Amino acid sequence: MKMKKKSVSEWVKSGDPWVWLNAGAVAISVIMVVGLLLLIAVRGLGHFWPADVVESHYALPGEPEYNIVAERVESVEVPAAQLREAGIDIPDHHKLMQRTLMKTGNRDVYGSDFRWVIDEYLTETQRPEMMFTAERREWGNLYGYLKAVKENGTIVSETDDLTPTDSALATWSVFEQSIERAARIFDEIHQIEKKDIGKINYALERIRLEQRRLELEGKLTPAAEADLAAERSQYDEEYKGLQQSLIDLYAQINRDTFIVQVMDGTEHEMPVAKIVHAFRPNAMNVAQKMSFYFTKVWEFLSDEPREANTEGGVFPAIFGTVMMVLLMTVLVTPFGVVAAVYLREYAAQGWVTRTIRIAVNNLAGVPSIVYGVFGLGFFIYFLGSGIDQAFFPEALPSPTFGTGGLMWASITLALLTVPVVIVATEEGLSRIPRNVREGSLALGATKFETLWRVVLPMASPAIMTGVILAVARAAGEVAPLMLVGVVKLAPSLPLDGNYPYIHLDQKFMHLGFHIYDVGFQSPNVEAARPLVYATALLLVIVIALLNLSAVTIRNHLREKYKSLEM
Amino acid sequence: MSDVKTHSIDISAMQRSQQALRIEDETVCLSVNDLHLYYGEKEALKGVNMIIPEKKVTAFIGPSGCGKSTLLRCFNRMNDLVDGCRITGQINLRDENIYAKGTDVAELRRRVGMVFQKPNPFPKSIYENVAYGLRIQGINKKRLLDETVEWALRSAALWDEVKDRLHESALGMSGGQQQRLVIARTVAVKPEVLLLDEPASALDPISTLKIEELIHELKNEFTIAIVTHNMQQAARVSDYTAFMYMGDLIEFGDTNTLFTNPSKQQTEDYITGRYG
Repeated sequence: MKMKKKSVSEWVKSGDPWVWLNAGAVAISVIMVVGLLLLIAVRGLGHFWPADVVESHYALPGEPEYNIVAERVESVEVPAAQLREAGIDIPDHHKLMQRTLMKTGNRDVYGSDFRWVIDEYLTETQRPEMMFTAERREWGNLYGYLKAVKENGTIVSETDDLTPTDSALATWSVFEQSIERAARIFDEIHQIEKKDIGKINYALERIRLEQRRLELEGKLTPAAEADLAAERSQYDEEYKGLQQSLIDLYAQINRDTFIVQVMDGTEHEMPVAKIVHAFRPNAMNVAQKMSFYFTKVWEFLSDEPREANTEGGVFPAIFGTVMMVLLMTVLVTPFGVVAAVYLREYAAQGWVTRTIRIAVNNLAGVPSIVYGVFGLGFFIYFLGSGIDQAFFPEALPSPTFGTGGLMWASITLALLTVPVVIVATEEGLSRIPRNVREGSLALGATKFETLWRVVLPMASPAIMTGVILAVARAAGEVAPLMLVGVVKLAPSLPLDGNYPYIHLDQKFMHLGFHIYDVGFQSPNVEAARPLVYATALLLVIVIALLNLSAVTIRNHLREKYKSLEM
Repeated sequence: MSDVKTHSIDISAMQRSQQALRIEDETVCLSVNDLHLYYGEKEALKGVNMIIPEKKVTAFIGPSGCGKSTLLRCFNRMNDLVDGCRITGQINLRDENIYAKGTDVAELRRRVGMVFQKPNPFPKSIYENVAYGLRIQGINKKRLLDETVEWALRSAALWDEVKDRLHESALGMSGGQQQRLVIARTVAVKPEVLLLDEPASALDPISTLKIEELIHELKNEFTIAIVTHNMQQAARVSDYTAFMYMGDLIEFGDTNTLFTNPSKQQTEDYITGRYG
């Protein structure tokens, strides 16, 4: 017994318990992080897989049987008692029942996308090959059998078969060609509406502002007015031409319609133009599904959102996030470094400096929404309005910088992250060996030259560490952004081909806010939930990539300025 | 290789014995008048009076904490960087008081260069290390820089070792090479005085020997003041030696006399190893 006691106390003394404790804590953290990433990855990435569509008969006890066509979404076990309370007549011998959430789509027909079914009462489940899924530009997914394709109201191909017979397949291929054609025309329309007409509108707006400016300055001579009018009429002419081609294109795109038989057996006629993709998941093999999957993932990354953000891609949000973070980095780095250099190198190290340093450290702990409010109150309402009155009087009363925008969001986040950069830079400066500074001074360099040529380069890895922390914090921040410039849907990217190319005053989209908007503000939360996971995963990846590039730069600098062996 | 070294040292020893040096005959480069230096309340230098003769090597010896490094750092006002350091008295470089108001300290340090105990190359290439002082002065002409860098590296007996890797990082060199690089860097701005603060104490014996040889060479062009812990080194390299103790300059005279026939008991005790 005595022996044993001694060995325990020796074990404690040896430090092993602490090693185990630390290892355990690290292990738990790693498991939690990996688990979280796995969860969002599985939930988010699964969304793009073309799921099979099942057709079943479904009849609750004592109720008429009906046909159900749907994708399985998720399955849970519920106590039978709970179902009985909900008014379903379940026989007594059931204790637990499997309940499945089915995505029936066809929201325009049934009013909702989803319904819960009890697996027990699904019968004759099959996966018909001719059943197709169509992603539409509105109303969500469509599930059904293709019956006919029409051109200008006349049927060009039709079939009565619900099995893959020759006639059914022929109609399907006509349908696919029609979709392809519509998609091509849609792209053209999109090009004209977004790019060409956008450009003209931008130019017309500039002419209007120019005229207003001249008017305000009292320089609007008849000659100038005539010039502007000439310019305007030129654009108007161009616009009319584009509008004519738009009318033509719309006529063309609306040429085709198709008839679909949905799960209750009724037939509906719909325009082909509304279809984004149509595919028959039950007839696809794994390779086809894979290739479809990657198309969908790419579409998610590169497309604009549709249907109140619940469908389509998130490209504008990725772009906005990255651009804002880069702009923030450009703003915060010089500012933080200059502040740190002053605090560490020039300011007398008295109680004032100490107080400032404590204040800076505390700033890092201020809740971010407070920065948002400050940004709104000071930057936007005060500075922004001032800028508008001084430089953009022609646009008033509609604000230019007096409203949330990319620049204010970046500045607000720069303010939020500047303490991190200051602290990291100060740390780096304090680690530069005294004798290197003295070496420079002894050669006749002034303090500033020493700082600029020797000290700051050597401190640059530490500065980059600060920047990395700043980027990590800023990229994940949402709350303040909601007040200073992020919107759920921005009409255009803040970077485009219209002079001056970067539009710092524009509102922009952000992945973090996108998650909030899609998950909690959208009209169809259930349908959008997988997108929340996918977007969350994407946000994590974007932040990781931004950080990774900063870390690479830092390691490069570290190698270059590796500190001397002291 | 080692033959050459002993040879050159022998010659200088011979020269010393042939013609006795007299401090009164020397041209004055730096003169120190009643210099007191305080770190806060503590008096680190207690009224030092001496001269540093032109184009000669003056060594400072003494036990740790005697103020020899502090005195050396007064010559290019490096002590200005120490908080709470105060000075009374005068140091004249030629005829200018370097502690006079309005002295351009950067310019003074260009004229009075300093090499420190530990090699402190900048994390730049070998070339850029040597060119640093020139670039600070706004010299950016490539030809002029190239010439000066080569001249400085040759002066520091480093050219042959590094001429093929001038644009590699200086941090990849050995300690002895780094110290010679630092000397080259200091020499490149063509200072009038070279202050060497225990330049060889962090180096191995062979590198030490090379530095000592170098001091002999540099003496022809620069006035040199060297602080050393190593009395043999002082005896080997210097023309004049100052012995300091507890902030006082105890004895100052030509090296030969000081080591063979010191006039003060404290000096004799120190050089015979009774304390220190």
